[in-house]
Amino acid sequence: MSTTLTASPTLAEPNPETDVQPGRRKPRLLITLFLAPTVIGLGLFTLVPIIASVVLAFFRWDIITAPEFVGLDNFARLASSPTVRVSFLNTIGFVATAVIVQLAVALLLAILVQSRMPTWLRTFFRSTLFFPLILSAASVSLIMAYLFNQEFGLVNEVLGWLGIAKVGWLTTGFGAKVVVLLVYVWQNFGFTFLLFIGGIAAIPKEVYEAASIDGATGWKQFWQLTLPLISPTMLVASVMAIINALQIFDQPWVLTRGGPGDETRTAVMVIYESAFRQLDFGGASAVGVVLTLLIMLVTAIQFQLSKRFVFYG
Amino acid sequence: MVDLSRRAVVALLGAGLAGTAISWPRLTGRDIPGRGDDALTVALFGTQQDAVARQALVDGFQRKHPDVAVRIVPIQGQDWGEYFAKILTMIAAGTPPDVVTVATEGTQLFASRLAHPIDEYVQRDAAEMQEYFDDVHPALIESFMYKGSLFQMPDNFNAANVFYNTGALERSGMERPRDDWSVDDFFALSRAMKSGSEGRFLPYFWTNRLWGGVVPWLYINNTSFLTEEKASGGDWFWSRFYPDQEPRGGGFLWEHADALNDRTVESFAVLQRMVAEGLAANPAQGGGNELVALFSSGQVGMTPAGGFWVQGLSEAGVANDDYDVIFFPKMASQRHQFGAGGYAIMETSKRKDEAWEWLKYCVSYEGMSIAHTKPDSSIPRRSLNTELYGAGLGPAHWEVFYDTLDKFPDTAPIPAPPQQAAVESALTKNVVGAITNGPGGVRRGLEIMQRDLEIALGGR
Repeated sequence: MSTTLTASPTLAEPNPETDVQPGRRKPRLLITLFLAPTVIGLGLFTLVPIIASVVLAFFRWDIITAPEFVGLDNFARLASSPTVRVSFLNTIGFVATAVIVQLAVALLLAILVQSRMPTWLRTFFRSTLFFPLILSAASVSLIMAYLFNQEFGLVNEVLGWLGIAKVGWLTTGFGAKVVVLLVYVWQNFGFTFLLFIGGIAAIPKEVYEAASIDGATGWKQFWQLTLPLISPTMLVASVMAIINALQIFDQPWVLTRGGPGDETRTAVMVIYESAFRQLDFGGASAVGVVLTLLIMLVTAIQFQLSKRFVFYG
Repeated sequence: MVDLSRRAVVALLGAGLAGTAISWPRLTGRDIPGRGDDALTVALFGTQQDAVARQALVDGFQRKHPDVAVRIVPIQGQDWGEYFAKILTMIAAGTPPDVVTVATEGTQLFASRLAHPIDEYVQRDAAEMQEYFDDVHPALIESFMYKGSLFQMPDNFNAANVFYNTGALERSGMERPRDDWSVDDFFALSRAMKSGSEGRFLPYFWTNRLWGGVVPWLYINNTSFLTEEKASGGDWFWSRFYPDQEPRGGGFLWEHADALNDRTVESFAVLQRMVAEGLAANPAQGGGNELVALFSSGQVGMTPAGGFWVQGLSEAGVANDDYDVIFFPKMASQRHQFGAGGYAIMETSKRKDEAWEWLKYCVSYEGMSIAHTKPDSSIPRRSLNTELYGAGLGPAHWEVFYDTLDKFPDTAPIPAPPQQAAVESALTKNVVGAITNGPGGVRRGLEIMQRDLEIALGGR
C-alpha cells in the first residue's frame, strides 16, 4: 500500500488498468466514501424493498403467519378482481386527463409569467403558483372536502347564489373524479410550471427577433419556435408528471376513500388497502409489481416517441 | 479534488465509528418502545396526551403491583383500521405489545389470530370477577366472545342513539318523540324540522361507516348485511357469571353476505327516500369531522351518536339543554347497535399473568373510576355510568345510553368478522351507490354489495 502511494512518476505512458498514479488512490477512496451512504441507502431502502416486493408477490403473507408460496395465484386473483380492474382503469384515465391538464395549465401560466411584466410581479406569480406544491396533500384534500361538501360546502353555496342547484361533488362518480383531478392538478402543476419557466427562459431572444423579422408572431412563434425549443423540457415534465400521477393516493384517499363505489379508487389505494387493511401483502405486492411494469412501459414509450418529437437543437 | 492525508482518513473513519456507536440504539431499533424494555407494554388507540392521561391508571395499578413496570404506547390513527395496521406493523417489527386496546371492529380479527383467550384467568379469579360482571350488561360481554372463549372485558362502549338539536325540535313545533317512535314519525319530524328551519339545514346527518352508518337502520329492521349466527360454547361463562339469564352462546358469527335480504332492501329503501327527499345527507365516506361544528351551530337536526359525544359537545360550547338523545325509531324491531372497547392479551406476550392483572385492574371499580373521569364514552359498569352521566354534564335523557341495552337486550355489536376491513370496505363503498340512484337503484346497488361482500368474506 505504502509503495503505491509513494511511487515515483514514470516516463512511460500510463496504463489506467494497471498503474496507480500518485494521488489517484486518495480521490478514489474519497469518492467511494462519499458515495457509500447514498449507495448503501439506495440499496437498503430502495433496491432491497423492490426485490422483496417482487418476491412477496408470489407468496401469501399476512404478517401474522409464515409466508406461503402460491406461485402466480396473486396475479390470477388480481386479474379476476373487479376492484383491481376498475382501479387500474381509473388510474389510467386519471393519468391521461391529469397530465394533459397539468402540462397545459403549467405551460400557459409559464408563458404568461414570462411575458412582459415588472420583475416583482413575475417573482410574486412564480412564488404563488409554486406554493401549493409545498403544502401537505392530506391537509389540502381535507380542506377541499369541506369546500366541496354537497350540503354545507362553500362551492355549492356560491353556486346557489348564482341559482345553480347543489352539485354532488363528492357523492357522484363524475363529480368526485372532477374534484380529485382539480385538487391534484392545482397542487402539482407548480413543479411543471417551474420547469417550463426554465425552458422558456433558456430560449435566446435573438431567435424570436429573427422570427419577428421573418414575419412570425404570436401563435406562429409559439407553435413553431417556443414549443419545439422547449420540447426537451416537455419530455422531462411529462415523464415526471406521468410517473407521479400513476402513483396518486393522498387526494382520493382523503377526499372520497375511493368512492362513490370504486369511482375514484386508484391502483396505489388498492395496494394500501390490500396490505394494511386486509393484510394481503402478497396481493398488494402483485398490484405493485404490475403498477411498476406499467410505469416502466409508459416511460419507455415516451422515450421512444421522444426520438421523433423532441428537438434537441 | 481535496487531498486527504492518511491522518484525515483515519480521523474520518473514527468519527464515523463514533457516530455509529452513538446512534446504535436507533440503528438497531432498540429505542423502539417496548423493545429491550423490561416492562408490560400496553398499546392504546390514542395520542401521547391520552397516554399521559393514563398515568393515574398506571400509578393505581403499580400501587397494587409495585414490581410490574408498565409502559403505555399510544398509537394514533384515523380509525380502528389504521390502529390495527400499526399494531400489526409492531408485530412485524418484532416489538409486539403485551396488551392492546381493541374495539369491536377488531375483536374477531385479534381473537382469531393474535389474542390470548382469558377463560382460564376469569375462571381462576371468578370470585373476584363476579362483582364486575354483576355490574355489566351481558350483551357487552357477549360481544367479546369468539367461538366459545372470552378475549376481552369491556372497558367502554357506545350504543348508536339519535342526538337531536333541541332548537331544531322547537322550531319544528313538535314534541320530543316517544321512545317507541316509528320510521314514519322520524320522517314526519325530519320534514317538520326542515320546514321550520332557514338557510343551510339538514334534518339528519350521518356518516358512511360501520358504527352509526346504515347498520342502525338495518338493526331496527331486525336485519343486517351479513348473516348473524351464534357460535356454540360459552356455557362455562354464562352458567357461572350470569346464572339467572338465558345463555347467550359462544359469540357472534358473521360468515355470509346477506345484502339482498328483503328487510335489508327495505332499510336501504328508507335511507334512499330520506336522501332523495333532502331529509338526510348523502354521506361522504370516511369520518365526520365537521359534524360537531354543524350540530352545535344548529345546521343539523339529528345525527347518530353515543355517550362519547357528550364531552366533545361540551368542549365545543354546546349547553346541556341545546341537545338531547333518544332511541333509534322502530321498524320490525328496535334493536340497536353498539361498539365496545377493552384490553386484550397478545398471544405472543411473555407476561400473560401480569397482563391479566392489568386487565383485571382496568375493569375494577377503582381502575374504571380512574380511567373514566369525563363523559367521553359510556361505561360498561352500570353504577359508574350512572355516576358519570348523572353528574350534570350531558343531555337530559342521558339514561338512554345504558337503557339501550336494558330495554332492547338483543342490541348487538357492530358486525365485524375477522375480515372486518375488507367487509367494511365492501359495505361503505356500495352504500352511496345503493341510495343515490333512485328507488330502482337500491337493489342494483345491493347486488354489487352482495358480490363484494362475498369476495371479502371469501378472503382469508
